[in-house]
Amino acid sequence: MQFDTSVFSYMPFMLDGMRITVILSVATAVTTLVVGLVLALMRLYGPRWLSVIVTFYIDTMRAIPELVVLIWIFFSIPILTGASMPPFWAALAALTVQVSAYAAEIFRAGLTSIRAGQTQAGLSLGMSRAQILQKILLPQAVIRMLPSFGSYLTMIIKDTAIASMVAVPEMTRNAEVAAQQTYRSMEIYTITMLLYFLILFPTTRIVEAIYGRIAHRGRS
Amino acid sequence: MTYDWSVVWDHRFEFLNGVWVTIILAVSVMAMSIPLGIGVMLLRQCGIKALEVIATVFVEVFRNVPLLLLVFWAYYALPRLTGASLSNVETGVIALLLNVTAYNSENFRAGVNSIRKGQLEAGLSLGMSWSQAMRKVVLPQAIRRVVPVLASQWVSLFKGTSLVSAIAVADLAYVGLHLRGSTFRVLEILTALAVIYWVLAYPQAKLVDWLHRKYGAQE
Repeated sequence: MQFDTSVFSYMPFMLDGMRITVILSVATAVTTLVVGLVLALMRLYGPRWLSVIVTFYIDTMRAIPELVVLIWIFFSIPILTGASMPPFWAALAALTVQVSAYAAEIFRAGLTSIRAGQTQAGLSLGMSRAQILQKILLPQAVIRMLPSFGSYLTMIIKDTAIASMVAVPEMTRNAEVAAQQTYRSMEIYTITMLLYFLILFPTTRIVEAIYGRIAHRGRS
Repeated sequence: MTYDWSVVWDHRFEFLNGVWVTIILAVSVMAMSIPLGIGVMLLRQCGIKALEVIATVFVEVFRNVPLLLLVFWAYYALPRLTGASLSNVETGVIALLLNVTAYNSENFRAGVNSIRKGQLEAGLSLGMSWSQAMRKVVLPQAIRRVVPVLASQWVSLFKGTSLVSAIAVADLAYVGLHLRGSTFRVLEILTALAVIYWVLAYPQAKLVDWLHRKYGAQE
């Protein structure tokens, strides 16, 4: 068995895919953190009926595969609304719908890890609930969330590969195309695995290193 | 736009077949990944440097690639690397197994390491042998901590099996995607597909929460 090095001429094409993977991952991280925070706040501090609905939504997203959510959005939204669904936006929508549930759980764990005495102290000083959340709870919760945030980011990057199923030209999709054109599947897929590893492995390490530096600020 | 939901009922046996394949995939991969995961965990602390490095590389590589890509890699690259010719189902099982084994070895490692070293030493100082202290003190506690994590792993494996549909393994997702094309009732079929996954996995997710509350590490 030989490793055919001619596939390296496809490197620019693969790096193009990597660019889309990174853009989709960053966009997903931003949207899911915003939606996830809102979901967590609704679940923790909302009225009872709202928290029941949010809990149901979160558990539902834990039960349905990403692929099924993506395919459903990509094919069914155009039928229901008549609007066309560009693949990239379908992928971003599906990842947001799905991964926000995980973000909400991370926020919830971070917020509930802070002792109730701190909220009570804030209240007795005359602070409003919103002030307590903003000045006491969130700043500590965000730091305590960092270790989960590292694996959360890697989860998103790995999940973006599913976008290849609706032909978003990200890294996995480009690997498929390159493999078909060159008939060098073994080389192409092995290189692609290494490229993912090169993004994912440092991501976890960098978040860990940042956490190591600022962990003391989350303690109380 | 009118919807024709009878199409779902007409194809109930296809869906049931898919459910059956999905369950078999998940059960067999989980059953194999537990002993293999323990094996890899032991290799990582066996004291022979070369084996430790190999086991660590195995774990880091197969945790840090997307599952879908791993499925493609197992399908296209593995036969050429090993010379073995595998059926699609076998390829799917291997891809899932590589991924879940890597995760499980980490789950077990975290479970064993979560028991403070002092407990093992206390057992030794009471005259227990190392294996006695392991069996009677460390492992019973480690297993309690690993159970809820394994349960979470199970739920994510159950969802992950949907990706083997990409190499035409006739699991639930594949059946759904296939019927979408053959019946043209896209919305009905895809909604049914999502609902079936929900019915199967939602109770599991709830069970996992219960296990976490019952056995989760308390500190």
